[in-house]
Amino acid sequence: MADALTRSMRASHVLVAILVVASLIFAAVGVAKGDTFYLRLGTEALIFAGLALSVDILLGYTGLLSLGQALYFGLGAYVSALVLMVTPSFWAAMGGAFAAAVVVGVVGGVIANRVRGVYFALITFGMAQVAAKVVYNMRSLGASDGLIGVPIINVNFGFAAISSASPAGFFLFTLAFIIILYALAAYLLDTPFGRLLIALKANERRVPFLGYDTVTPRLMAYVIAAVIAALSGALYPMLRGFVSPELLFFSTSGNAVITVVTGGVGTLIGALYGGILLTLLKSVIGSYTEHHLVVIGLLFMGAVIFLPRGLMGIVRPAIERLLARRTKS
Amino acid sequence: MSTAIEYFQFVLAPQMLIGLVLGVAVILVALGLTIIFGLLDVINMSHGEFYALGAFIALALGSIGLPFWLLVILVPLVMLPIGYVVERGLIQRVFHSSERHVTTLLLTFGLGLVMEDAFRLVFGPNPHKPETPIPGAIDVFGVFLPLYRLFLIVGGAVIVALVAVVVYRTRLGAMVRAAAFDRHMAASLGVPVQHVYAGAFAFGVALAGLAGVLLAPIYSVFPTMGRDFILMAFTVVIVGGMGSIAGVVVAGLLLTQVQAISSLYISPVWSDPIVFGIMVIMLMVRPQGLFGRLGHG
Repeated sequence: MADALTRSMRASHVLVAILVVASLIFAAVGVAKGDTFYLRLGTEALIFAGLALSVDILLGYTGLLSLGQALYFGLGAYVSALVLMVTPSFWAAMGGAFAAAVVVGVVGGVIANRVRGVYFALITFGMAQVAAKVVYNMRSLGASDGLIGVPIINVNFGFAAISSASPAGFFLFTLAFIIILYALAAYLLDTPFGRLLIALKANERRVPFLGYDTVTPRLMAYVIAAVIAALSGALYPMLRGFVSPELLFFSTSGNAVITVVTGGVGTLIGALYGGILLTLLKSVIGSYTEHHLVVIGLLFMGAVIFLPRGLMGIVRPAIERLLARRTKS
Repeated sequence: MSTAIEYFQFVLAPQMLIGLVLGVAVILVALGLTIIFGLLDVINMSHGEFYALGAFIALALGSIGLPFWLLVILVPLVMLPIGYVVERGLIQRVFHSSERHVTTLLLTFGLGLVMEDAFRLVFGPNPHKPETPIPGAIDVFGVFLPLYRLFLIVGGAVIVALVAVVVYRTRLGAMVRAAAFDRHMAASLGVPVQHVYAGAFAFGVALAGLAGVLLAPIYSVFPTMGRDFILMAFTVVIVGGMGSIAGVVVAGLLLTQVQAISSLYISPVWSDPIVFGIMVIMLMVRPQGLFGRLGHG
C-alpha cells in the first residue's frame, strides 16, 4: 500500500504528463504557424520554471525559504555564457555550470544552514545581493551591460544535434531538460534521503533521536537546489544570446518564490505550472498595461491568504481521487 | 601632526558627516522594521514601500500647498490608520498559520510589489525632488554642512529618543513589551493584544512614512526609492538584533560609518558587499544580533 506522499507524487506525475502533451501541441501549432516569439517565450517560461523547481525543493521539502536562489541561476547563466564564448559546446557549458554550482552551493550552504527560519531567508537574500552587486560592478563580467554575443550552439547528442537557434527544437529540448530535472528531483525526494528531508521539515529536533544526522542532508538539499537552479540558468544564454546582472537580482529570486507559492509548495509540479501561468499572465496583462505587477502582486497575495497550498492544492487532490478510483475498480 | 589634522578636517570628517546623515536616515527606516519584528515576529518586506508611501503622500499634499512642517506631523498621522488596516485586514489572516514567518514575509512581499507598481501608475517612474525646507549651510569645525542635514541629524536623534521613551517609559510601551514577551499572559492581564499588535504595526509603518517625508528633500522621491534603503535597513536590524531599538542605533551608525570610511580607501562599489558581508558573518556567528529582542531584556 502506497503512503500519502507516494500517492500525491503519482498525481504530480500525471500532471507532468498533461503538461508534456500540452507542450507538444503548443510546439506543433507553433511550427505550423511559423511562430518564433511564443515558442521563445515558452522556452523562457520553462527555464524559469526550473529555477522555481529549485526553490520548491528548499521550501516544500526542507521548509526553508530561499530569497536568493537567483544567485545560483545567475551563476549558471554566467558560467555557461563564459564557457560558450570560449568553446561553443553544450556539454562543456553544462559541466562548468554544474561544477560551479556544487562548489558555490557547498560554501553557501555551509553559511546559510547555520541558521533557520527568517534568518535563512535573510542570509540567502544577503548572499545573492552581495553577488549581484559584485557582478554588477565587475568590468571583466561586462558590469551592468552583462555579457553579449554568446554564440548559437548545437546541442550534440552524437546521433543528432539540436540548434539553439531553432525555436521549436530548442523549446522541445528545454522541455525535456526541465522534465528530467523534475524526474531527478522527484526520484531523489522519494528515496529515504527525501523522507529524511521531510522529517527535518516536520521536526528537526527529533530527527537525531532516530539516529540520523541533520547537517549533511540539509547541506545536500541546498546543493541539489543550487545545481538545479544553475543548470536551468545555464540554458538562458543559449536561448537569448546574452546574460545580464538582472538575472541575479532579487526580482528573479522573488519571481521564483511567487511562482512556487501560486503553483503549490511542495508539489514540484506546482513550480512548472506556476512558471507557465506567470509568464502567460505577464504577456496577457502586459499587452493591456505595463503595470502587470499590480495584478500579479494581488494574485500572489490572494494565493498566500486563500490558497496556502497553491493552485496544485486544488488540482492535485482531484487527480489523486481519480487515481484511487481507478486502482480500486 | 598638522597633516593629520588637515587629513581629518578635509577628508575624514566630511566623509563621516555624510555617513552620519545616511546613518540617521537608515536608523529612521529600520526603527519601524525592528519594532514590527520585535513585537509581531513579522518580517515586513513592504517596509521600504511604506517609506516611499510616506514620501509620496507628502509630495501629493505638498503640491496642494501644505507647508513642509505641517506634513512632518500630518503624514505619520495619515499612515497610522493605513498601517492599522493592513495589519487587521491582511497580516492577521495568515498570522496564526504554523509557518508564520514565511507566510507573513510572502504576504508583505506581495504587498510591496503592488504598492511599488501603484506608485509608478499614479506618480510616474521619474524622480521628484521637493525643495529643501531649510536652505543654507554652516561650517562645523571647518566642515561644510547643509543646514537641513544638520536638522536631520538632530531631529533623528530626537525621534529615536522619543520612541525609546514611549517603548520603555510609558504604560503603553509596557503593554507593547508585555505582549511581545508573552501574548497569552499579557492578554489575561487585560492587555488588548489584538489592538496592541495592529497599533504597533501602524506605529512602525508611520515611522517609515515619517522617514519618507524627512528624507525626500535629500534623496528625492521615486517609486523604487524603498528598495535602496530597505536592504541597508534589514542589514542594520539583523546586525543590531531584531527588535532592539538600541541595536538599530548602534548598528545603524556603525555600518554607515564603515561604508563611508571604507569608500575612502577602496572603490565605493565595494562598500555594499562589505556591509552585506558583515551581515552574513553576523548571521553566522551571532544570529540574534548585537542586542536582545524587544521585551526580552
